[in-house]
Amino acid sequence: MTPRYVLRRLVQVVPAVAGIVLIAFLAIHTAPGDPVLALAGEHGDAAYYAFIRAKFGLDRPLPEQLVVYVTRVARGDLGLSFVHGRPVAVVIAERVPTTLLLIVTALALSTTVGVALGVLAARRAGRPADLALRTGALLAHAMPSFWLAQMAAIAFALGTGWFPVQGLTDARRSLIGWRYALDVAHHLVLPALVLAAGELALTTRLTRTGVLEALATDYARTARAKGLPERAVVRHALRNALLPLVTVVGSRAGLVVTGAVLVETVFAWPGLGQLLLSSIQTRDVPVLLGLFLLASTTVIVANLVTDLAYAWLDPRIRYE
Amino acid sequence: MHRGYDGIALVALFLALASPTSARAQEVPTRGGTLVVAISADPGHLNPAITTSGATHTAAELIYNGLLGRDERGDPVPDLAESWTVEQAGAVYRFRLRDGVTWHDGTRFTAADVKFTFEEVLLKFHARTKASMGSVLTGIDTPDDRTVVIRFKQPYAPLLQQLDATEAPIVARHVYQGSDPQTNPANASPIGTGPFKFVAYRKGAEIRLARNPGYFKRGLPYLDEIVMRIIPDSGTQVLALENGEVDFLWGVPGPQQSRLQADNRFRMAQTSYHPGGSNCIMTVSFNLDRPVLKDVRVRRAIALALDREAFLRQILFGEGKVATAPISSEITWAHARGLALPGFDRPEAERQLEVAGWKKERESTRVARGVAGVADGTRLAIDFLHFPTFAKYGELMRQHLSAVGIDVTQRPLEPAVFAPTVFKDRAFDTNVISYCNGPDPEIGVRRMYHSSQIGPAPFTNAAGYRNERVDVLFDQGARTVERDRRTPIYRQIQEIVVQELPYVWLVETPTTRAWSAQCGGFRAWTGLFAEAAFCKR
Repeated sequence: MTPRYVLRRLVQVVPAVAGIVLIAFLAIHTAPGDPVLALAGEHGDAAYYAFIRAKFGLDRPLPEQLVVYVTRVARGDLGLSFVHGRPVAVVIAERVPTTLLLIVTALALSTTVGVALGVLAARRAGRPADLALRTGALLAHAMPSFWLAQMAAIAFALGTGWFPVQGLTDARRSLIGWRYALDVAHHLVLPALVLAAGELALTTRLTRTGVLEALATDYARTARAKGLPERAVVRHALRNALLPLVTVVGSRAGLVVTGAVLVETVFAWPGLGQLLLSSIQTRDVPVLLGLFLLASTTVIVANLVTDLAYAWLDPRIRYE
Repeated sequence: MHRGYDGIALVALFLALASPTSARAQEVPTRGGTLVVAISADPGHLNPAITTSGATHTAAELIYNGLLGRDERGDPVPDLAESWTVEQAGAVYRFRLRDGVTWHDGTRFTAADVKFTFEEVLLKFHARTKASMGSVLTGIDTPDDRTVVIRFKQPYAPLLQQLDATEAPIVARHVYQGSDPQTNPANASPIGTGPFKFVAYRKGAEIRLARNPGYFKRGLPYLDEIVMRIIPDSGTQVLALENGEVDFLWGVPGPQQSRLQADNRFRMAQTSYHPGGSNCIMTVSFNLDRPVLKDVRVRRAIALALDREAFLRQILFGEGKVATAPISSEITWAHARGLALPGFDRPEAERQLEVAGWKKERESTRVARGVAGVADGTRLAIDFLHFPTFAKYGELMRQHLSAVGIDVTQRPLEPAVFAPTVFKDRAFDTNVISYCNGPDPEIGVRRMYHSSQIGPAPFTNAAGYRNERVDVLFDQGARTVERDRRTPIYRQIQEIVVQELPYVWLVETPTTRAWSAQCGGFRAWTGLFAEAAFCKR
C-alpha cells in the first residue's frame, strides 16, 4: 500500500460521486410526485401553485434545473430545503451527530458482543451453547426491526419503566453537562440495542464460521501440536476470521447516512433516517439530493477504509 | 354578528367521553408546570401564515393569534380584535383592535401589522386564504392604530370564519417587512403575540415554548412551558403517553382507543377540528370524463354497493359517523337533513348495472352490452387511487364492488404523487380523498363542485363535475351574509349533487385527542388548544 495508491483511490471518488448525483437527480425528477404540495400546502388555486413553482425554479426545463444544481454543488451550495426553508447543508449537518451516535454505538455493540459470542459458539461447536447461540442469532436476524422495536418498548419501557420509548432526551428536563450525557445515554439504550440485534446475529454467525474454519487449518493444528494453549490458538485464528467481518462492518457505513430509518422512526430518534423518510414523503428534492451525495461519498470512502484495513489485518495483501 | 357553525354534537361527545371526575378536575386550574405534546412531523418552520401545512399549524399556532378566535361551537369570538361590525350587507368589515397588545419582543401591536400580514403574507402565501379571498378583496384600510377595515368587491359571507390563527395568523410587520416571508430566519425563531413565546427549536426533535407573561388575556396562560415533541409513529405516541413521557396526543389510532379509554389515567375527546383541515369527510370521487362512469346509474350502483357502516366499523373502529349529506354534519346550518342518499342495497346495485347495460355473463366481472361510448364486451374494471394510509378503504371498496361484478384495482400513491395524478393528469377512474369542509362551505366545499375548480390545483374538483346551476348557487351562497338565507341555498346544492352523484360521501372522520388526567383545560376545537390548559405535575 502506497500513498500514491491512496491518492489514486481518493481521486476516483470525484467521478463516482458526480455520476451518482446525476443519476439521483434524474431519478428523483423523473419519478412521479410534485413537491409543490410541501412548499405551498393544500387548498391553493392554480395561480398560486404556478407562482410557487416559478419561485423555486420548478417550472424550468429539466436540463436547465440540472445545470443550475450542478453549478451550485460545484460551488459547495446544496440549495435551500423546500420544507425547512434553510440551506440543505445545515439541515443535514444538524442530524449527523444523532445518527452517528446511534449507528456507531449499535455497530460497536454488535461487533464486540458478536465477535465474543461467535468465538464462544466456535469453541463450543456442536454443543448446546452453540446451538442456543445459533438459534438465537437466526431469530434476531429474522425479526423485523420495527417489530422488535415495538416489543422492546413494551417490555423495557412500558412494562418495567426502565427506559423511555422516544426521543433523544427527557422533554420535561433541560439538562446540561454530564447529566445531559447520561440522559442521552438512557434514551440511546433501546434504539441501539434493537439496531444492534440484527447486526449482532450476522456478526456472531460470521465470526463462528470464520473461527471454525481457521481452527481447522494446518497452522492451528501445528500450534496445538507445539503445545500452545487453546486460548492462544483461538486468538491466532480470530485474526484471520476477522477479514470477512471487516467487509461486512465496512459495508454498513451507508447506514450512517441513511440511518436506521425504521428504528429512528419508531423511537422518534431525530437523525438522518427520519429526515430521509420525511423528505421522500414531501418530495423535498434538494434535501434528498444532499442525502444521496453524502451517502455515496460515505460509502465510497468507507470502502477505501475497508480495503486499507484489509492490508493492516493481513500483511500478505498488497496494493499498488 | 352571525354565529359560526354549531358544534352541539361535538360538545355532547366531548362530555360523554370525558368522565365526570375529569370534568371536575379540569375546572380547577393550577399555575406552572410543563405540558409535553406529541406532534407527528417536523414542521420545518414555525410560520403558519405562509402555509396550510398541518405540521406547522399544529406546532406553531400557540405562538400567534388571529383577529378572531373560535368558541367550542365554532363561532367567532374576540382575539386580537375586541369587536367588529359588518357593513354594506357584508361587503365591508370593520374591526376594533385590543389596546396594549405587544409582540413577544416588546414592540407594540398595531393595525399596520394586520394590514401587512394580509397584503404581504397571507394573500401571497397562505393557500386557503389566498384562494378564497384573493380575488374578491379590494383593500384593507387602517384609519388609526386600532382600526382595520376590510373591503370586498361584493358581500363576502365566510370572512368571520376565516380570521382565527389557523386561517389568518397575524405576523409582525417589523420582523417580516422587506424580506421574503418564505426564507426569513424568523420562521425558525418566531415572534408572535400568542400565549406562548418561542424558546428553542431542536430540528427533528422538539420545539420548546415558554409562558408569555405579557399575554393580553388576563391570567392566561397557566402553564410555564410547552414542549412539542416530534414522534412520527402513532403507536409510539400512545406508548409515550402511557409511559408518562408525553401529556397530550392530537390523535389516537382506532385500535388503541379502547385501551386508553379503559384507563383512568387518561382523558379523551373527539373533535372535528384540526389545524390541517376541519370537518373532514372521506369521499370517493368518480372521474366523470371516463365513459364507464359517465352514466349516473353506474355511479348510483357503486354507491348502493358500498356498505358505509362497514367502513365506519372496520376502518375507523366506530370513531366517526356515516355521512348523511355532502356537507359535514358539524356545519349544522348548512348540512342538509333527510336527503335521499343511496343506502346499502346490493340487489338494487345489481339491477342498476343491468339496466345501464353492464351484464353478468360467464365471468364474475360484468361486461358492456350496448353501453354508450364503450365497446361491447369491455369488462367493468376500474382503478381506485388512494394514499397508502387509506389502503383499507381500497380493500373494502374492492370487496364490496366485486360482489356486484365490478373489478377494482387499488393504486396506492403517496400524496406528492397522488395530487398531480388526479388533479393535473386526471389519470384515474375513482379515488378516495379526505375532503375537509372547513368552518364554512365556501372554504372547503365549493372547491369540490364549482366548475372553476377543475384542476390542476390539488384537492379541488376531483370528479370534474360541471353544473351551471350549482355554480350559480355557490356564488350566491358566498355573497349572502345572513345565515338563515344561506341554509336553503346549500340545501339546494346538496339535493342536486345527491341526484347526480359525482362523489360518494362515505364517513365523517373526527379525530380523538387524548391527554393525561393530570392535565386539563384543553380547548380541542381551536389551534390555541392549550391557551388555558394546566398540568398538576
